[in-house]
Amino acid sequence: MTQELSSAAAPDIALEREVAAMIVNALNLEVKPEEIQAEDALYGEAGLGLDSIDILEVALVVSKRFGFQLKADSEDNFRIFASLRSLSEYIAANRVK
Amino acid sequence: MMTLPLLPENPADLIVACHKGRQVTCATFLRDVAELAQGLPADRPLLNLCQDRYLFAVGLFAAISRGILSLLPNAVTRETMNALQEREPNLLCLTDQAEAPFGLPLLHLAVDAGAATEILATPQIPAEQVVACVFTSGSTGLPQAHIKNFGTLVSISEMEAERLWSVTGAPCTVLGTVPFQHMYGLESTVLLTLLGSGVLFDRRPFYPADVADALAAMPMPRLLVTTPFHLRTLLDAQIELPPVTAILSATAPLARELAAEVEQRMGAPVLEIYGSTETGQIASRQVMRSEAWELFMGISITQNDGRFYASGGPLPQPQVLGDVLELLDERRFHLLGRGADMINIAGKRNSLAFLNNVILRLPGVRDAVFCLPAEGDSSRLAVFVVAPGVSAQSILQGLRDYVDPVFLPRPIVFVDQLARNATGKITAATVQELIDTHLRGKS
Repeated sequence: MTQELSSAAAPDIALEREVAAMIVNALNLEVKPEEIQAEDALYGEAGLGLDSIDILEVALVVSKRFGFQLKADSEDNFRIFASLRSLSEYIAANRVK
Repeated sequence: MMTLPLLPENPADLIVACHKGRQVTCATFLRDVAELAQGLPADRPLLNLCQDRYLFAVGLFAAISRGILSLLPNAVTRETMNALQEREPNLLCLTDQAEAPFGLPLLHLAVDAGAATEILATPQIPAEQVVACVFTSGSTGLPQAHIKNFGTLVSISEMEAERLWSVTGAPCTVLGTVPFQHMYGLESTVLLTLLGSGVLFDRRPFYPADVADALAAMPMPRLLVTTPFHLRTLLDAQIELPPVTAILSATAPLARELAAEVEQRMGAPVLEIYGSTETGQIASRQVMRSEAWELFMGISITQNDGRFYASGGPLPQPQVLGDVLELLDERRFHLLGRGADMINIAGKRNSLAFLNNVILRLPGVRDAVFCLPAEGDSSRLAVFVVAPGVSAQSILQGLRDYVDPVFLPRPIVFVDQLARNATGKITAATVQELIDTHLRGKS
């Protein structure tokens, strides 16, 4: 949890697509993974409109697939789930598998 | 007029809460309450939206000590706030956040981090004083108010404390994953601690790893107040969990298999609480010992015309229950089914009638019916809608003004028409047919 989001690095498009597919699959969303744009909001009124229960479910598949636990205490939570890109960057920085 | 002390007669140096890593004594809590109470305008009901559990409690008890009503909404949506303001035009929003939602008049709350230097007298509160107004989703589409007087809240907290501390062996520090503006979270994380001799813990863990961290930071004995949904998530995370003395679950009956797994993994008994916003908590069970629920002392249930009524103990009058029960004897019952209309997702409650009413009022919606396709605490609602030319997005946007996001439907299924029977109702069989036709194999 100590690593910063690395916004300077080039986006990892392959990882973003993998995360998009993972979200759609975990939540039974009606959109197709390829329809989710990297900068689309995940949480709240705009974009995908995920809520707190969805986020817990996404966190669970993230922990299984990438081997680390998300924590909200760091106040980063809204920033991490701001968009597909921010979540993917956070995963890239923290993944252990 | 009977009066009760604002807090049980504790020693002044008794620890009653943990806030931002410091231990709060009874004297310090009373100081924080008194300082806020002095600044509260006498004639303005308080909409307590504090997100920090300790500050929420300071706000609630300060209002009680001044004879001011606290409003505890079941959702912070535009329409809920409008309805509240119509009911209480003078309301003041108490918050620990920088801004109040929807531009409501705001009173910002922060507390002095230092310990109290003097010991204040405990205020005496009339038992009949109406202290809180809790809201549920009325079937008409407007929030329905349920008032609670101080004596009722004190008695319920004492009953719950007696039941829980008899299992844990001593009063616990209490961690909650549930919202405390709803009855279950209010009773079991705020009132159980401050009125029932437990210790209030301020953290609101979100992810499983947060729950583990928070538990590890608490003194023993520890009680975790949660729901079947959160317990499932906690176990699925496959993380190491610190020792806990007992686990309390409510909102949906806990399956025996999940209870067994929780007890085995966490090495502690799981208790469940049964109640409703109208009644408060009235029964408990330890499902690994008995499937039957046992009523709290003084409460009784009677059956009349196929409906069940709880009365006695702290209940000022008999309250109808939304559920179907089988009475085993005077003290015990089986819960056969939740009221068909009631839904409860992760500690938040709503009713299908309310949701149907809301969606039918959206522009372009000709007919609609909400349903819960799969049983269980975490499942998503679905909705079947007749609304030619209306997008799913605009329906979601419309619903957001009225309902908490956990009740937003997924999927939204557009149909040409909905079959209503002679009395204008959509029957359960019709809904099941729609589910089988449109949703089978999807979730």
